[in-house]
Amino acid sequence: MILVNFEKELPEFTVCAGFMVEEKSTVVLWGESGSGKTTILSCIAGLASPERGEISIAGESVFSSSRLIDLPPQARGIGFVFQHYALFPHLSALENVAFALPKARKPEARDYLERFGIGRLADRKPATLSGGERQRLALARALATEPRVLLLDEPFSALDRRTKEEMYREFQKLREELTMSVILVSHDRREAELLGECLIEVVDGAALE
Amino acid sequence: MPMVLPPTIMGYLLLLFFGRRGPAGAILEKLGIPIIFTWIAAVVASIVVSLPLMYQNCKAALSSVDPQYEKAARTLGVSEGRIFRRITLPLAAPGIVSGVVLSFARALGEFGATLMIAGNIPGRTQTIPLALYNAVEGGRDGEARLLLGVTVVIAFALILVVGLCERRSYAPGLRPQKPTAARRQSMRRHFASKTASSSKGRTT
Repeated sequence: MILVNFEKELPEFTVCAGFMVEEKSTVVLWGESGSGKTTILSCIAGLASPERGEISIAGESVFSSSRLIDLPPQARGIGFVFQHYALFPHLSALENVAFALPKARKPEARDYLERFGIGRLADRKPATLSGGERQRLALARALATEPRVLLLDEPFSALDRRTKEEMYREFQKLREELTMSVILVSHDRREAELLGECLIEVVDGAALE
Repeated sequence: MPMVLPPTIMGYLLLLFFGRRGPAGAILEKLGIPIIFTWIAAVVASIVVSLPLMYQNCKAALSSVDPQYEKAARTLGVSEGRIFRRITLPLAAPGIVSGVVLSFARALGEFGATLMIAGNIPGRTQTIPLALYNAVEGGRDGEARLLLGVTVVIAFALILVVGLCERRSYAPGLRPQKPTAARRQSMRRHFASKTASSSKGRTT
């Protein structure tokens, strides 16, 4: 379970997030561009620090302004898929997945690629992959570290309509297999309704359940 | 400072600093390490004059790395040291190498500061530009042309290295994409069919 209750000041408005994500459920933060969705995700991931409030993941406090806790992203046990995937351009698909794995688990990287149907692309660099392939690779890389929570920042926005539909189906299938909580950010209402079990609208930084 | 000061002024400052009565020179003299008019002085002059160029290039190369990659690595649980070694440094490497090459080229052409602090002693502190100056002044045209040729060859080699570094840059949109095997095959088929149709057109 993830508990989110914090405030972060931005030049335009104050981001105010207060919601809970149940075990194994998918929450979609939905709102217009610039409404503060990515900032909320960054605060949960530890890539940005809120001014005040609390964030806990699986019962462990990862941020608490009152108890002066602010764990770095490395210690939060999260998987993050960025909007443009942020795949390391100088590493092959296999190296991208194996990068964060300890030595003993390196061989598992190929299994993750196979699981996402991109095993044949193991030696290819991200720049030579299609949008859908890059997205699968980003998901494989994020899940290989066995995170406690998966954060997805508009993962389908860079795809064309046909690939997007295909990826929605794949995500729904994958969701059934995943055991962790998922927070997905989207500006597309239809996408949000299709993929989320719980929808939270973000308006001018306010994401309140 | 070395970027804006004339090389001879820089050389004079170094002379004051490393000279026998200078703050560093006096200590080094006591330790038995003379600097002035030795090959070490030529190296010091080259480093001081070319370091700003190196620093600026490295700074630009490191800050041009998209912070998104470092953030992604952090979310994967990787330590900051490993992120620097495996992500930041390789992505900035072409810019850093380009900086090394450019500062080497600057050091190679160093004249004023070297002359002030290391002198112009053949076989000991004489650099290529100093030797060229001596050869021209002494009317030794053959030697001057030989030195000119050597310098031009080195300069072209350095330009080649910088060009290769720029091609290897990972800046989005700048790196030319290598065609994949499938793309190469489809291009071959496309050109083969074009050649066949044009030769058919000529015969009819």
